[in-house]
Amino acid sequence: MSVCPRSNPDKYSRVLTSGFRAVVPFVIALVIGGAVLLATGHNPLAFYQLLVRESFGGTDRIAATLSAATPLLFTGLATAIAFRAGVFNVGVEGGFVLGGLTGATVALHAGLLAGCVAGALAGVLVSALPAWLKARWNVDEVVTTLMSNFVVAGLTGWLVTAFLQAKGVANSATPLIPRSAWLPDLLPPYGLTSGVLIALVLVMLYAVWIKHSVLGYELRQTGLNPRFSAAQGIRVGRVIIVSMLISGAIAGLGGAAHALGVVHRFVDGFSPGYGFTGIAVALLGRNSAVGVVLGAVLFGALASAGTTAQLFSDIPLDIVDVLSGTVMVFAVIRLWRQR
Amino acid sequence: MTVSMLGGLLMSALLLWTPLALAALGGLLHRVSGVVNIGLEGQMLTGALVGAVVSGATGDWALGVLAAGAAGGLIGLLMSLCITRLGANEIIAGLGFTIVLSGLIGYLLRSVFDVSGTLRVAGLDPLPRILGLDPLFWLTIIFVPLIGWSLRNTVAGLRLRATGDGFDAANALGLPANGIRDIAGTLAGVFAGIAGSHLVLGQVGLFNENMVAGRGFIALAAFYFGRARPLPTALACLLFAVFDAAQARLQTAGVPAQLIQTLPYVVVIAVLTATAVRGVRGRVRRAG
Repeated sequence: MSVCPRSNPDKYSRVLTSGFRAVVPFVIALVIGGAVLLATGHNPLAFYQLLVRESFGGTDRIAATLSAATPLLFTGLATAIAFRAGVFNVGVEGGFVLGGLTGATVALHAGLLAGCVAGALAGVLVSALPAWLKARWNVDEVVTTLMSNFVVAGLTGWLVTAFLQAKGVANSATPLIPRSAWLPDLLPPYGLTSGVLIALVLVMLYAVWIKHSVLGYELRQTGLNPRFSAAQGIRVGRVIIVSMLISGAIAGLGGAAHALGVVHRFVDGFSPGYGFTGIAVALLGRNSAVGVVLGAVLFGALASAGTTAQLFSDIPLDIVDVLSGTVMVFAVIRLWRQR
Repeated sequence: MTVSMLGGLLMSALLLWTPLALAALGGLLHRVSGVVNIGLEGQMLTGALVGAVVSGATGDWALGVLAAGAAGGLIGLLMSLCITRLGANEIIAGLGFTIVLSGLIGYLLRSVFDVSGTLRVAGLDPLPRILGLDPLFWLTIIFVPLIGWSLRNTVAGLRLRATGDGFDAANALGLPANGIRDIAGTLAGVFAGIAGSHLVLGQVGLFNENMVAGRGFIALAAFYFGRARPLPTALACLLFAVFDAAQARLQTAGVPAQLIQTLPYVVVIAVLTATAVRGVRGRVRRAG
């Protein structure tokens, strides 16, 4: 984690501590992953070196890392916004998937922009019910959002096979989107799409909005202490709903960007758990804008380097899941102690 | 639908019921102690692999089941320690453990066993049949009333409920509340591990990395649906098992399988909402 020295000593130490807190779970994960590698007769140091080289060694590898980080920027940001308001939204996966299907289907007929808007709206749709249930009846959002992921997975699978299936394609997939509706490539040979720019702009907007707007203030206050916020006159229910709807919109837009930029259609099993890795990204980044970017790049690097490392060594990609799951468990240990 | 078709449906539903109910009973114990266990999925997967390997290596199904329970219990304990001693959020710890375990198992399959996803274990000893059904089924049938009775009538059951109902009060009374939660978490892991071994030894006969297929989450749905009471939870599992068994038959009648699979999850959202609405209404009535 980079620590930028500032003149103000307080600021300096704060950045240092938050950097340290983010590094600890990652180091634990590397140790546990290393133990697994050692136990199965591999050299962990050589593997980690290979990972670093494969994620940042050269323009093509950096492009691949950023490309893998793009969906995680969306899902990490979507999770962070809800977490910041104290809403434990673990349904970003569902928003991402439905956003992908809706985006791919609408773009097929109405073009790029309509596809993105429709994807975002689909994400809003997924988060709306848990948000309303939480705000109106105080229904535990953790379970409802978790369950909504599985409902969406079944629903999209059914929609694709029953109505939207492309002709002549063996697996459940929608037709290929025409090239005019694709998200343009940034670095043409390397497959990095402009989705990463959209995501980065959103992260920057989040950074400004959460610090300098009334709603952003209300969101942070609600996250810190909902009862005190209510006593202050903040309409907590409204803040919860707004944070969930924004979270859903970003998740859905992320799905649409993935469909329109990378896959160019919707395929059943479209997301290998981007929403769940997004939780790890948000936790590791402590729901801050900079943290989300660093977390997404880190996990993106793991995913992209893990894929190519699999080719050069006989170490299966699954080791990446071991690392990211460990980061998730240990990131929350720090987080909840702090609160 | 003929009688024999109904009989076949019932038999396959009972076969599918056993692992669901076992895992749900484990999750129920953990829930009664005050922790929502999202890690059942990963613990079931671990139990399935360990059960398959040990049953194959020893040629004894009972040892396979015991080893699966031990492995699940160890993971349940580790997860519980993260929650009780290190203050991890139970949801994230559960999800994280499930991700780690499925990654670890996929990794081991590919690097140690040198297979991609599916492991056929030579000499695997499947569960025997007693009165047409396997011993784990009968064990689960006994567990349902036994757990219900123990929760109401034994000291251990009282302490477990006390820990869940009033964690601080239990602590203040000198109960080792964190330790009780660890025991409940370990038991949940044991149950889930055995449930996983049933998938291999009682149903499929081989191990696949995707074989749990959300059953841990359906078990979660079941104990939410049964409000952490054993009999309603077991009946909820039966309902979900019947849906599962009827899937293929309903599909030929034009009902899509993917939609039937979402039913348990929809049911949970509905049940949670109904409970919360009733809770809020009750509070309003008492206040007014």
